[in-house]
Amino acid sequence: MSAAPSSANVSRDPLEPTVLIEGAQTDQSLNDSLLNHVWRGAGRGWWMLFGCALSALGLLLIGITYTLYKGIGAWGNNIPVGWAFGIINFVWWIGIGHAGTLISAILLLLQQKWRTSINRFAEAMTLFAVICALLFPLLHTGRPWFAAYWLMPYPSVQGIWPQFKSPLTWDVFAVSTYFTISLLFWYLGLVPDLASLRDSSKSRTKRIVYGIFALGWRGSGRHWSEYKWSYLLLAGLSTPLVLSVHTIVSFDFAVSVIPGWHTTIFPPYFVAGAVFSGFAMVATWMIPARQFLGLKHVVTIKHLENMCKVMLATGMMVTYGYIMEHFIAWYSGNPYEQGQFFKTRWHGPMQGIFLTMVFCNCVVPQIFWFKKARTHVGVIWFASILINVGMWCERFNIVVTSLHRDFLPSSWQNYAPTWVDISLFIGTIGLFSTLFLLFLKFVPAVAITEVKELRHEMEHEAHHASVGGGAGAHG
Amino acid sequence: MSCDDNKEARAKDRQKRRSLPIVTAEAPRPSTATAARAAPRYWRSIEEREAAKAIALGAVNEFPPGADELAEGSVSRRGFMQLLGASTALATVGAACRKPNEKIVPFVRRPEELTPGNPLHFATAYALEGFASGLLATSHEGRPTKIEGNPDHPETLGGTTAIEQALVLGLYDDDRAKVLRRGGESTAWRVFLEDTKARAERLEANKGAGLRFLVEPSASPLLGDLRRRILARFPMAKFVSYSSTTSDGAAEGPRLAFGQPLVARHDLDKAKVILSLDADFLGEGPELPRATRAFAARRAPGPEMNRLYVVEPALTGTGAMADHRLRMRGTDIPSFAAALVAELATDTPALAPLAGLPKSATFDQRWIRALAHDLQRSRGSSVVIAGRRQPAAVHALAAAINAALGNVGSTVTYLLSPFDGSSGPKALGALVEDIAAGGVDTLVITASNPVYTAPVDFKLGQLLQRVPTTIYHGVYEDETAAVCGTMIPATHPLETWGDARALDGTVSIVQPLITPLWGAFAETQVLAAFLDEGDVSAHELVRRYWFGQRPGDQTAAFDAAWEKWLADGVLPGTAAQPVTVPAVDGQALATVIGTQLAALTAQADGLELGFVNDQRLHDGRFANNAWLQELPHSITKHTWDNAVMISEATAKAQGFETGDVVALQYRDRSVEGPILIVPGHADDAVTVALGHGREGAGESIAKGVGFNAGVIRTSDAPWYDRGLKLARTGDEHKFAITQTQWTMSPDGRASPPPAVDATLAEVLNEGSKFHEELEERRGPLPTIHEPVDYSHVQYKWGMSIDLNKCTGCNACVVACQAENNIPVVGKENVRKGRHMQWIRIDRYFSGPIADPEVINQPLGCVQCETAPCEYVCPVNATVHSDEGLNEMAYNRCIGTRYCSNNCPYKVRRFNFLDYTSEYTAARMMGTNPDVTVRARGVMEKCTYCVQRIERKRIDTRIAGTTIKDGELQTACQQGCPARAIEFGSLNDPGAKVTRMHADARRYDLLHEIGTRPRTAYLARVRNINPDLAKVD
Repeated sequence: MSAAPSSANVSRDPLEPTVLIEGAQTDQSLNDSLLNHVWRGAGRGWWMLFGCALSALGLLLIGITYTLYKGIGAWGNNIPVGWAFGIINFVWWIGIGHAGTLISAILLLLQQKWRTSINRFAEAMTLFAVICALLFPLLHTGRPWFAAYWLMPYPSVQGIWPQFKSPLTWDVFAVSTYFTISLLFWYLGLVPDLASLRDSSKSRTKRIVYGIFALGWRGSGRHWSEYKWSYLLLAGLSTPLVLSVHTIVSFDFAVSVIPGWHTTIFPPYFVAGAVFSGFAMVATWMIPARQFLGLKHVVTIKHLENMCKVMLATGMMVTYGYIMEHFIAWYSGNPYEQGQFFKTRWHGPMQGIFLTMVFCNCVVPQIFWFKKARTHVGVIWFASILINVGMWCERFNIVVTSLHRDFLPSSWQNYAPTWVDISLFIGTIGLFSTLFLLFLKFVPAVAITEVKELRHEMEHEAHHASVGGGAGAHG
Repeated sequence: MSCDDNKEARAKDRQKRRSLPIVTAEAPRPSTATAARAAPRYWRSIEEREAAKAIALGAVNEFPPGADELAEGSVSRRGFMQLLGASTALATVGAACRKPNEKIVPFVRRPEELTPGNPLHFATAYALEGFASGLLATSHEGRPTKIEGNPDHPETLGGTTAIEQALVLGLYDDDRAKVLRRGGESTAWRVFLEDTKARAERLEANKGAGLRFLVEPSASPLLGDLRRRILARFPMAKFVSYSSTTSDGAAEGPRLAFGQPLVARHDLDKAKVILSLDADFLGEGPELPRATRAFAARRAPGPEMNRLYVVEPALTGTGAMADHRLRMRGTDIPSFAAALVAELATDTPALAPLAGLPKSATFDQRWIRALAHDLQRSRGSSVVIAGRRQPAAVHALAAAINAALGNVGSTVTYLLSPFDGSSGPKALGALVEDIAAGGVDTLVITASNPVYTAPVDFKLGQLLQRVPTTIYHGVYEDETAAVCGTMIPATHPLETWGDARALDGTVSIVQPLITPLWGAFAETQVLAAFLDEGDVSAHELVRRYWFGQRPGDQTAAFDAAWEKWLADGVLPGTAAQPVTVPAVDGQALATVIGTQLAALTAQADGLELGFVNDQRLHDGRFANNAWLQELPHSITKHTWDNAVMISEATAKAQGFETGDVVALQYRDRSVEGPILIVPGHADDAVTVALGHGREGAGESIAKGVGFNAGVIRTSDAPWYDRGLKLARTGDEHKFAITQTQWTMSPDGRASPPPAVDATLAEVLNEGSKFHEELEERRGPLPTIHEPVDYSHVQYKWGMSIDLNKCTGCNACVVACQAENNIPVVGKENVRKGRHMQWIRIDRYFSGPIADPEVINQPLGCVQCETAPCEYVCPVNATVHSDEGLNEMAYNRCIGTRYCSNNCPYKVRRFNFLDYTSEYTAARMMGTNPDVTVRARGVMEKCTYCVQRIERKRIDTRIAGTTIKDGELQTACQQGCPARAIEFGSLNDPGAKVTRMHADARRYDLLHEIGTRPRTAYLARVRNINPDLAKVD
C-alpha cells in the first residue's frame, strides 16, 4: 500500500492519518520528551507497580518450586485432562507476543508509518510474553530435567532422536526461533536509541553501561545504511514467523484425533487470535503508559484507533473460526465433533468459560464499529482487557473443554485448577509486568530514532505538498 | 469346560510347581529378629526401655524409613538374601539345647530347580468364609509376587477373585502386627507356650469349663482335628465359630426342607434357566470362580444359552448380568418366593402344599408367570439360588423348588456341611451370654476381628474386658486386639502351613511361600498350645495329621504322596459325595415356614435397611489393603468409601442427592453416611456395605475410610429390617468415583455406543440390523496410508474380550495391578481423576434409571496398529514393536502427557505424584522384578503383559519351539474367572483369539477413528424371555 498523500487536495488515505505526532516537535524536543522517563527518577507510582509485580513474581517462583518438588500432581491436571493451565498459559502468552512481531515486521514492510510510535513497546511485549510462554513447555512436563535436552536433536549416545512427527518437537524449533529473532529485532531497533541514551547520560557509569549496549554506534552514514538493511532483513525474517509460530502451536492440537482439536481451521484461526490478543495486550499497557510517561504526543489517539481497527478485524476472523468449527462439526456428521461443539461447549460443565469467550471475543470488539468508541481511551482500555480475558477463555475451551469430554464417556472427568495453577498464571503476569516496568525504566519506550525519522519524513512531505500546491497554482 | 485344550501345557506347568524346600536347622523360636525386638532385660537408659515398649504397642513405626537395612534405594535381592542368610546363621548359633525347628530358607542352599531371575510357582490354597480356593503363587527368589488360580482345583478352575489377587499386598503390609504381646509388654512365643501349658493344666481340672474358642468357620481337616482333640481334653470347653458374612439361613433352609443342614453346590454349566433370589453368586461367596466360569461357559449365543433372572434390592454383579432383573426390597423377597411357589404349584403338584403361603406384597404377575413357565420348561436344567442374606424360609423354598423341578442332582447338589452348627449371630449370642454370666475364664479368639464384626447389641468389645484372659490371634492390631490381653500376630496365608477344604470337599495343603516376615504364628500353633505339644510348627502339625490319615503308609510312600499333593495343590479323592436328599415333605414344610413367613410379612412398612458385605473389603478384614480400597465398586465405581445406596425415586422423595451426608437412625442407634444414588436400586430401601469405618490402631490405611455400618447392625436383623429413618445432617461428602458418567451418551450425543448389546434373537438372525451395524464397526476403513502388513511376523499379538462373559468382578483389575506394579494413588487423587489401574471396567447403564440394563466393558490399552499416542510423543518414548505392540519406554518418557491426550480410549495413566518412592522395604519385596517400578512424571499403560511374552519367548527359543496358543496368558486373562479374555497371536489361525476376532459378534471399539485396535470386543447378548419381551 502506498502511503504518501501527495497533496492536500487529494482525499486522505483513511489508513494514513496525518496526526501521528502532535504539536510542533523538533528532534531535540522529541529526544527530551521520549528519553525523559528514563532519566526521571523512579516515581512512587513506578515503585508501587513494581512492588506489585515483584510480589506476583514471587508467586511464580513459589509455584515453580512447588511444582518441581511435588510433581505435576501439584496442578489440577488429570486423565483425561492431561493439559490444562500450563498449556493454556503457554498458548496465551505466545499469542500475546504476536502483536509485537506483526507491528515491527509486517507493518514495517507495508510501510505503515503509524507503527513507529508503538513498535518498540510492542516488540518488548513480544519478548517478555515469549519469556513467560517459554516457562511452560518445560515446566509442564513430568520430568523437565530430561525434557530440557531430550527434546533437542543431538547425536546422543542413546542413539535416540526426537520424534520429528510430534508437534511438540516442532514447537521447540518454532518457539526458540521466534524468541531469538524477536530478541535480535528488538535489540537492533534499540541500538541507536541506546546511543542517544549514552550520549545524554549524566553519570559515567550509565554512559559506560549504555555505551556497551550501544555497540559503539556513532550514527555514521555507513552505520545507518547497514542498520537499515539489517533491520529490513530481520523484518523479512520475522514476517513468516508471525504466521508460522502460532500455526505450529495450533498443530499441537490440530494433528491430534481429539474432537475439538482435530480441525484444519486452527492455523489461521490461531494466528488471527494471536494478533487479536496481542493488540489487546498492547492497548492494555499502552493506554496507561502514554498517560503516565508523557507520550501522548507521539502515541496519539489515532494510533489507538488503528489498533482498534486491527482488533475489530481479527476479532471477526476469530468469530468466523468459531462459526466454522461448529459448521464443520455439523457438516462432517461426526458425532464426536457434534457432541463436543453442540453439547459440551454450550451446555457442559465449562459452559461459563465458553460463553465468556463468545462475549469477550465476538461481541465486545463490535463496539469498535463506532468511532466514538475507537477514540475513547477508557472504552478501548476496558474492551482490551475483556479481549485478553476472552482469549484466555478461548484457550481454556480448546485445551480443557475438549479434553474433559472426548470419546468414551467412562473416562470423562471434570477439571479444577489448584492454587499452584493459579499462582503460576498470576506469577507469569507478574514476570511480564516486572520485565515491562524495568523496560520502561531503563530504555526508551518509543523508538526515538524512528519517530525522529518520521518527523523528518512528514516535514519533508509537508514541504513537498506546499511546494507542489504552489506549483499547481502557478500552472 | 471350554479351556481344556491346553491341558498339556498345564501338566507341564504342574511339573514345574514345587513344594518349598525345607531346611531343618537347630533354631530357637522366636527367631533372632523377634527376640531382638522384645523388651530388653538390660537397658541402658529409660528412653531405650520405653522405646521398646512403644514398639511393642505398635505406637511407633517399627521400621522408620531409613532405620532398617532394607531401606529404599538399597533394596536389592542380594541385600535381602544376605539378611535372610545372616538371620538364619545367627539363629543357628548357640541353639544347641533347643528343640529342632524348621526354617524356610530358600537361598542359603540353592534348590536345584531354582535359577535366580526365573520365578517358581507353588500350589497352595486360601480359605475365605471357611472354604478353600486352590491357588498358584509365583515366587521370585523366595518372594511371592503374584497369585493365580490353580487350574487343577475343582472349585477354582484357574480363576481368581479380586480379593485373592490382592493377597500379596496384604502379605507385605507393614501395618501387620509384628509383636507377640501380653498387655503392653512384648513377650516371647516360648513364654506364651509355657503360660498356656500351665493354664491348660489348670483348666483341665474343671474339664475346661471356662475355656472358649471363638474361631472362623473353617472346613480345614487339621483345624477340625485340633478342635476335636482340644474338646477331648477339655470336654466342657466350647468352640464358637463366627463370621459376620455368613447367615444362619443358608444352612437352616436345607435343614427345613431335607431334615439336615446341608451346603448347596450349584452346577451352572448344566443350568439353562437360573433364578437368583438375592444371591450374588457371581460377586461373592466360595462358589464365585466356579460359578462364574460355568455361567459364562453357557453364555455362547445359541439354543443352549442360559437365561438369568435376578430378584434383588441393590444392583450387584449378578444383577448386572441378568437377562431379567426385578428390583425388590430384601424384605419382600420371601413373599416373592412364596408367590413364585404358588405360581409353580399350578403345574408342579409337589409344590401344591406350599401354594398358600402368606405374602405381604403383590408382584408383577406376568413376570412371575413367565419366570415360572421358564423354570418349568427347563425341568432338571433350571436352578433357584437363594442368597445368604435371605432367611431360612427362602432357602427352604429354593430347595423345595429345585427338588420339585428335578434340579437336585443335576444343577444343584447338596453336601454335608463341614461346619458344626451355626456360624452366624446365633452361635455368637450363646457365647456372649456365657461371658455376661461370667462363665468364661479364658477366651481364645482366632476369628477375624469379631469386636468389629459382631452385632452391635452384643457389645462384644465391652464384654471381652470382663473375661479374665483373652488371647487374640490376628493379623493386625485391630479393634479386637485393642481389648484383648494377649495379642499373637497371625501368619498371612502365604506364610504358613496348613490345609483347607473346598466347597466340594476337595482338600488342599496350604504351603507357605516365605517365612513369616515379622515372626507371626499360625492358628494351628495357637490351638496346639492347648494340647501341650510344646513348640510345634504348623508344618509339623499338618504333616503329622495327614500322616495319621494314611495309616498304611511308610514314610517314604507318604513323602512321595505329600510331594505330589503339594505340587498338584489338591489331594486326590477327597471330594465329598453329594448327599441323596429325601423328598420334601411339602405339608410339613408349609407349616414350619408358614409361621416364619407370617412373622416376616407382618413387618411394619417403612424404609428398609439392608446390609451387604463390601465386595472389596469383605467383612473389613481387607480394609488395610490399598489395592482393594482403591478398587472401583463394580456398579457404582466408587473407591475408598462405602455409601448409603438408595434409588433415585426414594432419594428424591426424601430430598437427598448424592453426597448428602445423612444420619441413618435405626431403632435407638444412628450412624452417619453419605447418600449415593444407584440405578436399579429398589425403592424405599437403603443398602449399606459393611467393613468400612475401621478404627484399628495398627491399620493406617483402613483408618477413617467410610463409615461403620455395623454400629446399627443388630443380631436379630443382620441383613434386612424395616423402620430406618434418614435425617439430613447438612454435611456434604465428595466421593472418589472413577467413572462419573452412567450412560453411553450422558449429554445426549449421537455417538455409536462404546459397548454393544443385542437380544439373542437379533444375534441369531444373520440378516438383523445388529449384524449390519457390527459390520460397520470392524474391518478395513478407507485410508490414504497403506496399513502395515503384520501377516509375516511370527506373532501378531491380539486380544478379545467377550462382554457376554464379563461379570465385572474386578479380578482382572487387581491381577493387572499385582503383575505390573501399579501403585495406588489414594482417595484424594482418585477424586481428581488420577487413578492408575491399567485395565478398567467401564460400566454403562441403558434404559430407565429405575430399571437399567448394564454392560461391563473391560478396557486396557487396545494396542492400536496406528496408534495416535505414538506420533505425538516428542521423545519417541512410546513406539511400535514389529509384532504390533504399542510399547512404552519408561526411562525415556519426559511426561508431556500428549500421548494420553491423544489416546481416544484414555487408557494411559500418568504418575502425577511420586507414588512409589515411599514403599517400605517389605512392600518392595512384593513388586514384580520383571516390571519397572515407574517414577514420578512418567506415563504408563497396559503392555499386553510384555514381560510375560518375553519370558515365554525366551523359554521357547531355548527349547527351539514357538509359543503355542494357550501357553501364554496375560495377567488379566489368567485372573479372569469367566474366561472372558483371550490372548494370543492373530497369525495363528487356530488360536482362540483368532477365532474370537472372526466371531459374528466381534466389533472394534472406536473403529471409526481408524486406530485399528488389536483388542476386539464381542457384543453382549441378552437372552430375553419372549413372554417378557414387551415388558422390558
